[in-house]
Amino acid sequence: MGWILNNSSRILELTLDHLLLSAPAIVATFILALPLALVANAVRPLREVVISGTGLLYAIPSLPLFIVLPLILGTGVRDPLNVVAALTLFGLALMVRSAADALQSVPQEVRLSSTALGHSRLGRFFTVDLPLAGPGLLAGLRVVSVSTISLVSVSAVLGVRSLGSLFTDGFERNIVPSIVAGILCTAVLALVLDLLLVAAGRLLMPWAHRGGRA
Amino acid sequence: MTAECAKTQPADKLKLTVIAGTNKEGKDFMPIDFRQVTKTYDDGTTAVQKFSLHIPSHTATVLLGSSGCGKTTLLRMVNRMVDPTSGSVLIDDEDVARAAPVALRRRIGYVMQNAGLLPHRQVIDNIATVPRLNGVSRSAAKRRAYELMEIVGLDYTLALKYPGQLSGGQQQRVGVARALAADPNILLMDEPFGAVDPLVRIELQRELKRIQTELRKTIIFVTHDVDEALTLGDQIVVLKKGAEVAQVGTPQEIVENPADQFVAQFLGLDSQRRTLSARPRAGGGWFISDARGKPLGVVDQAPIDRAPETG
Repeated sequence: MGWILNNSSRILELTLDHLLLSAPAIVATFILALPLALVANAVRPLREVVISGTGLLYAIPSLPLFIVLPLILGTGVRDPLNVVAALTLFGLALMVRSAADALQSVPQEVRLSSTALGHSRLGRFFTVDLPLAGPGLLAGLRVVSVSTISLVSVSAVLGVRSLGSLFTDGFERNIVPSIVAGILCTAVLALVLDLLLVAAGRLLMPWAHRGGRA
Repeated sequence: MTAECAKTQPADKLKLTVIAGTNKEGKDFMPIDFRQVTKTYDDGTTAVQKFSLHIPSHTATVLLGSSGCGKTTLLRMVNRMVDPTSGSVLIDDEDVARAAPVALRRRIGYVMQNAGLLPHRQVIDNIATVPRLNGVSRSAAKRRAYELMEIVGLDYTLALKYPGQLSGGQQQRVGVARALAADPNILLMDEPFGAVDPLVRIELQRELKRIQTELRKTIIFVTHDVDEALTLGDQIVVLKKGAEVAQVGTPQEIVENPADQFVAQFLGLDSQRRTLSARPRAGGGWFISDARGKPLGVVDQAPIDRAPETG
């Protein structure tokens, strides 16, 4: 406990670093997954290819990806951009299927009636399909958020600062409290972000929580 | 309102009063004509084959037929949800194929089974959908939506509920209100009351009739329910497979003189469900039953004193 208190400012800094690596990846995942999911749903023969293909990305071991990606992107191994890109790829692996399923779960009759009322295609997507896919998208995003936060730690091995640095330092110098602090902070960060997502969902989708008849 | 201003009515000048004969006098506008329309789908099935029909304005035409006869396809040709493979659909003598689909749909009301309401929008916003799409301000659209709630007999307390919180009948009323919100001259109704229980269904039919006597829209109503067709139709079109017209006529014409065995069978005339007999009651008045003896009701006045004709 003493170690943690003595190093609290460093832990806080690392938590912030951790967040700054994961948040952009989560946002990028969400934004990129939507068009991929739309393509997958629109072009039937492509659906399984796109969804399973992105899903397979998750099978790539994370450490090699962190190392190989800079060769493709032309960034340095320790460049945060490298980490964010890798995390986004892993995020997509989880998110594309969720997004495709969520968008497809929009009731056909609602789509049909919206078209019949005179929504343009784009208008319908933003005012009808996207909000109605909301609960499914949120569920996917929560998994992505937790997974991303846990994966960020791996980048510490490369020397990118994050809560993972508490593990690597702890192991190297045999400081158990450092390892414990790393685990705890990662878990807390994941939990907080998850709660924030749930709260945002409640705020943006009040209709999804009002079950039952009047 | 003249035909011209109906067509060019600017989006921001939504009429806020519909009731009481806006369309009542004036000349005949918004008739719908099907001219030799055929719809063949990619897989080779022909849903509609060379269908022609004139639908007079301000009347309710019911397309009556069993499922798969192409009646919904016909309905969707009017607002270009489906484009015919050949032939044309005319509104006011103008081919709908030349109209932009989105703009066309915004001036045609559409009600479908299960209402198809937006589950994430409150009732009031659901009703205000089309005026909002047309660029009417939020407050004006809401005012209009409240008017509509009154017209279709919905309690104001439901305005802020979500569709999932309403009963099936209430949802269907919202669907009708939404279809009427932009004051369209044409109303397309695709089995709108198909999913509600019989009592509510009868109530909704009665309400629709009341609304129609006030608003006098050109309505195309699709159903497979004979009683519903007889209740609502000024004109009934009985359809066979491939939207082949078996008979067109008023409810009375069709019941009195079914064109062929198919129509008679469809209406239940051959099973004598609609051949009625009357017997005097002990307490006065007459007891009415069908030819099989199923009791249908009582009448106070004596029916015309002669044997029922069979036909």
